[in-house]
Amino acid sequence: MKKPYYITRMGVLERRGNTLFFENEEMRKAIPINSTSEVHCFRPVTLTSGAIKLLSEKNVPVHFYNKYGYYRGSYMPIEGQVSGTVVIKQAEHYLNPGKRMYIAKQFVEGIKASMVALLRAHKTDYGAISEVEVEGYTPAELMGVESTLWKEFYGLFASLLKHFEFRERNRNPPRDEVNALISLGNSVLYTVALSEIRKTYLHPAISFLHEPLERRYSLSLDLADVFKPVTVFRVILRLVNRGQIREEHFRDDVGVMLTDEGLRLFISELNSEFSRKVLHPRFRRNVSIRYLMRLEGYSLVRHFLGDSTYRSLRAWW
Amino acid sequence: MYVIVVYDVDVKRVARVHRFLRTHLHWRQNSVFEGEVTRSQLYEIKQTLAELIDGDDSVLIYELPRENFNLHVIGTDRNPTGEII
Repeated sequence: MKKPYYITRMGVLERRGNTLFFENEEMRKAIPINSTSEVHCFRPVTLTSGAIKLLSEKNVPVHFYNKYGYYRGSYMPIEGQVSGTVVIKQAEHYLNPGKRMYIAKQFVEGIKASMVALLRAHKTDYGAISEVEVEGYTPAELMGVESTLWKEFYGLFASLLKHFEFRERNRNPPRDEVNALISLGNSVLYTVALSEIRKTYLHPAISFLHEPLERRYSLSLDLADVFKPVTVFRVILRLVNRGQIREEHFRDDVGVMLTDEGLRLFISELNSEFSRKVLHPRFRRNVSIRYLMRLEGYSLVRHFLGDSTYRSLRAWW
Repeated sequence: MYVIVVYDVDVKRVARVHRFLRTHLHWRQNSVFEGEVTRSQLYEIKQTLAELIDGDDSVLIYELPRENFNLHVIGTDRNPTGEII
């Protein structure tokens, strides 16, 4: 499997000797381009035109985040996987209210199942979550159901945290440590989902639960939400409760943000969670959580083409 | 799969082998590379190396199912591998 690379220092990405090199005053490091799935930049990074050519040739996207960890944009190579048929079918499912609602409902069911999976693993009463009925007549109503689910989930999640206080979700910028972690984790998950969607024939901007707003790849939001509880929230719980992430890993600016060391710690744990393999009950083999995201994409494609009915992920691990 | 590549080739060809391996694997120390590759990548590595080397050059490729070995470092670790830079 190709691996993502995460850059947490300022510097330059350039082409040298047919591969990618990261360079700044302190270090010089080669990135094996043929083994790279994508590059994430959390600090100001400059790309030379040589690097851009190489990245395009090898079809490796580069994602950029601002200092609070919010997604700011990507350098995307020309799309490799293009299929007009799939995009037309995907749009058709968006335009037909009944078909759109079916998919949107599946996503919310998936989110609910992931929340339950995490809470069950921590032996927490998930009654409040499973009581929420996933019903509605419009996507807006389903978004309402989703926010009810998150509200309940945040409350239970807060009670599981041993070291930090978490009262409410806030963002832009995050105002406390847990919010800073959630924001950063969600941004990374969102771009990873985008990278996986681009390997399928799906169009990343045509979404079903979220409204396809301009200039946003909202299908990755739809897909990422299903994986949030079992990846981002699981990692936060682990790092906080084991005392690995502490006060000293954060600093105050206008909002709260991670220090370089905290960032590296969090990203490396998040990355290993994405590449962690779980036994797939139907395939009877171990697949990474990241690959499960792509599988969701594939089953959406089959749903659009009418080969099989889409059923969103029910996290089991 | 995870591979460790060790080579002993004539000085004339060292740089070329090094430059090629760097596009697929992590440089560990002089004449040693390692990293996670796919089966097709391994095939490509073998094909290209066979073309690059000559004479009584020698390249060894250790193939491991996973990165599940213990590494003991004595002295300095010249270039620790990792995805976080």
